[in-house]
Amino acid sequence: MAGSGVTGAAMTSVSSPPEAPPVTPLRRPPAQLLRVTTTPGMLRLLLIGLVALCLAWGAVAAWMVSQRASAASDVVATSEPLSLDGQQIYRSLSDADATAATAFLSGGLEPLSARRRYQADIAEAASRLEAATAVAGHSGAATDLARLAAGLPVYTGEVETARADNRLGLPLGSAYLREASGLMRGTLLPAARDVYAQANARLAAANGQATGLPWAAVAVLAALVVGYALYRAQLLLSQRTHRTINVGLMAASVAGTVSLLWLLIALAVVRVDLQQARDHGSAPVAALAQADIAALQAHADESLTLIDNSGDDSFQADFTAVRRQLGPGPGTLLTAATSAVSGSPGAGNAAAARADATAWYAAHQRVRSLDDSGAHSQAVLSAIGSGPGDSGTLFGHLDSALTSAIAADQVVFSARAVAGRNASVGLEAGVIALSLVMAGGCAWGLNRRLMEYR
Amino acid sequence: MRTSAWLGPQLLVLPMVALALVALPASTPRIAPRMVRLTVLATAPQATSCDPTASLRPTGPPQLTAGSFMATIRARGYLIAGVDQSTYHFGYLNPLNGQIEGFDIDMVHAVAAAIFGNPDKVQFKAITDAQRIPDTQSGAVDIVAHTMTIDCSRLKLVDFSTVYFDAGQRVLVEKGSPVRGIGDLGRQKVCATKGSTSIANIAAAPSHPIPVAVPYWTDCLVLLQQGDVAAISTDDSILAGLAAQDPYTTMVGPRFTSEPYGLAISKQHPDFVRFVNAVLAQMRSDGQWAASYAHWVGAPVPAPPLASYRG
Repeated sequence: MAGSGVTGAAMTSVSSPPEAPPVTPLRRPPAQLLRVTTTPGMLRLLLIGLVALCLAWGAVAAWMVSQRASAASDVVATSEPLSLDGQQIYRSLSDADATAATAFLSGGLEPLSARRRYQADIAEAASRLEAATAVAGHSGAATDLARLAAGLPVYTGEVETARADNRLGLPLGSAYLREASGLMRGTLLPAARDVYAQANARLAAANGQATGLPWAAVAVLAALVVGYALYRAQLLLSQRTHRTINVGLMAASVAGTVSLLWLLIALAVVRVDLQQARDHGSAPVAALAQADIAALQAHADESLTLIDNSGDDSFQADFTAVRRQLGPGPGTLLTAATSAVSGSPGAGNAAAARADATAWYAAHQRVRSLDDSGAHSQAVLSAIGSGPGDSGTLFGHLDSALTSAIAADQVVFSARAVAGRNASVGLEAGVIALSLVMAGGCAWGLNRRLMEYR
Repeated sequence: MRTSAWLGPQLLVLPMVALALVALPASTPRIAPRMVRLTVLATAPQATSCDPTASLRPTGPPQLTAGSFMATIRARGYLIAGVDQSTYHFGYLNPLNGQIEGFDIDMVHAVAAAIFGNPDKVQFKAITDAQRIPDTQSGAVDIVAHTMTIDCSRLKLVDFSTVYFDAGQRVLVEKGSPVRGIGDLGRQKVCATKGSTSIANIAAAPSHPIPVAVPYWTDCLVLLQQGDVAAISTDDSILAGLAAQDPYTTMVGPRFTSEPYGLAISKQHPDFVRFVNAVLAQMRSDGQWAASYAHWVGAPVPAPPLASYRG
């Protein structure tokens, strides 16, 4: 910059600091303190402006980091567990309903395995319900969870009444089972589906908030403003005071650069992690869960058609409609799930699920043709059977392929999401500390120049 | 549990259904005594123009003539019967063995035995009360054995066999209820199945109970046990089956209608009606009817209802 040879000329051309102290009295009016026309006034103004800018930068950066960190931690600690719980509540309730129905289908005393499966389903639903309620807080899902919590004991009470009557050989038992299943299909399952849908929407929103670009752009813009201000301040100082380098301002610039780089790198890492968590975790899990829910619904329809036995084909019609949604085929849930899981650990199981679905449909067709030709008890045996080729077995394959795929991708999700959340640990405190360093640097650097005018 | 309609969500709309049912035709003069008036209603307004219990005369003992509907059934390999699955002792799914059993079911087995020589060549379809007439008309079932009252309005839609059981409508309440009959049930909820003569009788009762319609009779007992209805009112035969499942209930009041049961058959198969009447005539005379009555309804066994024919 400017050499020391031109110092005298520059100083006289603007003002004459050495002459100022004798003229001015000890107590100058505040307006004069900040007068831009004098170099000290200009320096004071610069000091205040730069300190304010540095602190503002720190505030903006910290606020942004905390926003993103809370979104990332919402993904990990709230939305994702809630979505998983909603999905598991639906699964276990739907399975409990189908199991209770098939236990009655078998005639005579229910098989012990069916009883145990029903009890395990109810226990799982209850514990998931409790976990979800703890996580949900006052979100929209809370109402649905309350409805589930109120309805579940009523449902199990009716099923137990049905069992007791059944043990006495009374047809009243099936009326209680019908009542219970109506409650399940009319109230509980829709509520569970709502919990899942709301948690998924919240997960998507939190993920978007944690990875969105607009705030990063604002941060970069703010950093540019601060950086430009520091640069102009140093330019000005070197012109006015003929000191090429101001250590304080340099330190502030370095701290600013470090905080910006830290911020950008950390946010980029969070973004990449959370996007991977979504693309290879929650998105495939959601697609698989949708397919699994449809499969469970179709399975319940199969049982209920057999129980119904009245020529009314509404459950069979529902089965056909759900099967069309489930696929495999273009535009179906299984196809969507397969493409969503490609490249994730669940891919193998998802591909198996497609084949399993086709095999199950064929077995279901055999059940229907047995039932339609009057061989009701053989149809029932195939539907609840566990032999190879039985509809019960083949549905089990489909269900376990889908649940294994879900479990595998769930692991990816959790790992990436936790990594994403951890990538910004310490960042908030860091940017605040660095902005204080920047402000301190500016104040110190400019104050040293100001001292020269005392 | 074999039903077309799973109850839960429907229960909420039942009161609305019930309110709609109140608006059933009730054009009989108010001067008639209650018993007579309701009996007339139960057998529909056009009772004077028809003798509902007169059926087609059999041509002799049951015979499978070539080209008859019985021959078609035989060629198919099994009889298709629309039955109840929830009426204890008449037509119900026995939870202990998964079989449909009861007095109505015995009638069906006898018909199957006459066609195939084997009483078990039957495919039972559990249907609701409301499905009985449509399923008979459409040919979805060959025969309906479903505690079904013969009346003139139904005779316009389907044919009936001769009477195989005489019932009458009464009221079932929980023990300790102050209700002593249908007259005490004004403005209270009373349950019956959709599409039954009973629900129409409740709606038409002068005390103006509020009818509540459900698919199956056991659904009524669930509602009574849960305190959702004050009483159940239908044929004493059905009520006895419900009372047998809940010792805290009791039948009150006299019979206030007459409900002759017949087996419903499509109007397209008069040959089958005559055939079934021949089977019933045989059952009355050879003691089968009495044996089945004793097994399902219990002693004392009355004389079987007399067959009446119209030609």
